[in-house]
Amino acid sequence: MERYDLIVIGAGPAGLSAAIEAASAGMSVVVYDENSRPGGQLFKQIHKFFGSREHKAKERGFRIGEKLLAEANDLGVKVMLSSTVLGVYENREITVMTASQVNHVKASSIIIATGASENMLPFKGWTLPGVIGAGAAQTMMNLHGVRPGKRVLMIGSGNVGLVVGYQIMQAGCTLAAVVDASPTIGGYGVHAAKIARTGLPFYTSHTIKEAHGSDRVEAATIVEVDKSWNPVPGSEKRIEIDTICIAVGLKPMSQLAAMAGCVMEENPLKGGVVPVCDEFGETSLAGVFVAGDVAGIEEASSAMIQGKIAGAASALRMGCISEDIFKSKCTEYRRSLEQLREGMFAHKNRGKPKESTDEGFKLSQSLLQRGFVADVEISHYPGVPPAEKRARGIVPVIECTQNIPCDPCQDACRKGCIKVGTTITKLPEIDAAVECTGCGMCVVSCPGQAIFLINECVEGDFANVSIPYEFHPLPNKGDKGIALSRSGEYLGEAEVISVVTSRASDETSMLTMRVCGELSMKARFFRAN
Amino acid sequence: MCSASVSDSASDEENIMRIQNHPILKQFEKGKAVSFYFDGRILEGFEDEPIAVALKANGVMVHRYTSRDRKPRGIFCAIGRCTDCVMIVDGKPNVRTCITPLREGMKIETQYGVSKEDQVK
Repeated sequence: MERYDLIVIGAGPAGLSAAIEAASAGMSVVVYDENSRPGGQLFKQIHKFFGSREHKAKERGFRIGEKLLAEANDLGVKVMLSSTVLGVYENREITVMTASQVNHVKASSIIIATGASENMLPFKGWTLPGVIGAGAAQTMMNLHGVRPGKRVLMIGSGNVGLVVGYQIMQAGCTLAAVVDASPTIGGYGVHAAKIARTGLPFYTSHTIKEAHGSDRVEAATIVEVDKSWNPVPGSEKRIEIDTICIAVGLKPMSQLAAMAGCVMEENPLKGGVVPVCDEFGETSLAGVFVAGDVAGIEEASSAMIQGKIAGAASALRMGCISEDIFKSKCTEYRRSLEQLREGMFAHKNRGKPKESTDEGFKLSQSLLQRGFVADVEISHYPGVPPAEKRARGIVPVIECTQNIPCDPCQDACRKGCIKVGTTITKLPEIDAAVECTGCGMCVVSCPGQAIFLINECVEGDFANVSIPYEFHPLPNKGDKGIALSRSGEYLGEAEVISVVTSRASDETSMLTMRVCGELSMKARFFRAN
Repeated sequence: MCSASVSDSASDEENIMRIQNHPILKQFEKGKAVSFYFDGRILEGFEDEPIAVALKANGVMVHRYTSRDRKPRGIFCAIGRCTDCVMIVDGKPNVRTCITPLREGMKIETQYGVSKEDQVK
């Protein structure tokens, strides 16, 4: 029988982080993953992560995956792929199948980091080819370079639905609409806004009734639902699409923990059945830990910290780190984790009415229901400079209006023009006393693509509006096109006056367009003719 | 390794489904171009990509028909979990095509129940 100090099950963000933490304390660590590639879902995440610098904010998921893997390899962590853990038994012994061979392996600690699986939504026609999970769309387009469909309907407006919907557009597919049965969009407003300004409709209070087609999806019918989630007769709408993508939440993949004999609980806040565990992730079985989505659905950023905590706890169990070092590490990790667990989208605030921000600003109901902040609402927020300030020269306009854990904007501005403070869920503020140099680092750093540069002081009756841009083909200087509003409506003609892509921006370009002066606070997207 | 450019002889479908220039990922690293059989037809794909991906690029949507009701099934989870995409690969049924790498000359067949069409009662 093989023996290690630590067995980690799952090579995703939680598992790899746990392995790194334990291996750096000198432990021998093996990581098993049933997939042929490591990284869990990280390599499919091509968007920039939220959080703070310590959470690897503004880095794209797949790059975080590459770094974690390199770090694990450097520390001598053994990562065994295409290896399915079949069972977890007494005294921290497991059976694992690699190729068709089954091995017994034993360790002082086991960290179960098996992640989550997608929830499904049965409806008439849901088994037709062309109805896929959001994860399948990501796998096809972001790992293998094949479009999931030509015209795609997204069901679900949580962060997964919004992020994958945007990525579907980046892959060159047409996203037809985003549908959600809830009266409000479930994910971050900034993610929704990126989609809305391209002109795409959100159907909140709608659900899918039927997928049409004989051998493959040819269309879908959606229907409005009332407050009791019942379909409203006569509100059916047919949408011509060839692909339906389902993103209606995740549930913890906790079967291994259950069969190991961990005490389990059904916890709707955590997304389903999870093992009961203490603050370090240790389950009711001594030396068996859980970390990441298997312990409760959260983001990859929190999974990485949970992995570190469980890794440190397993090192303490082995005597590889002292009680003091463990305590100081955990205090730091917990502080970092708590930062991510604040704000209106945090578990603890789920189900609470979304009316105003922590600072007392009224939340945009238009953003919550339709995916864009209405023109009349935008000036209420602290990241939007007043007309007097705009009249003096170039300024950043930060359309970040919800309390989400994210602060790369304040690091981006070398002049210190943007302030979030230490509570990273606070809305960014503009310091009116600091002059903007127009460098655009804030525009390309914001993971929510919610920062624009506005210059109303240009010759003639024009204004320059700089926007983040992440589509192909990238427009060129001199290209003529149209300016679109936050809701994706035609506003007027626009000409591209510069396109800047820097190494630091990691493929996010800053496109500056010249528009009619009165459109400076309205134009937020460019479409080439 | 070569990037996923598709030869002139590739079908229009393949040109539509393969992403040539991704705004973030640019080009996709692929194995060498290979031919394979799908229900007797010769199709092209890239070595080591999942069979399901190569089929998708060629516009193939139906992987199998269910045993009792003969309902079509295709890719659903794409990570080897749901088993909706299973097909007959080199004579072996129930192969999860979304996680099985494509090889030169592979014979992929639509599955009916757990068999080939002509073996269905």
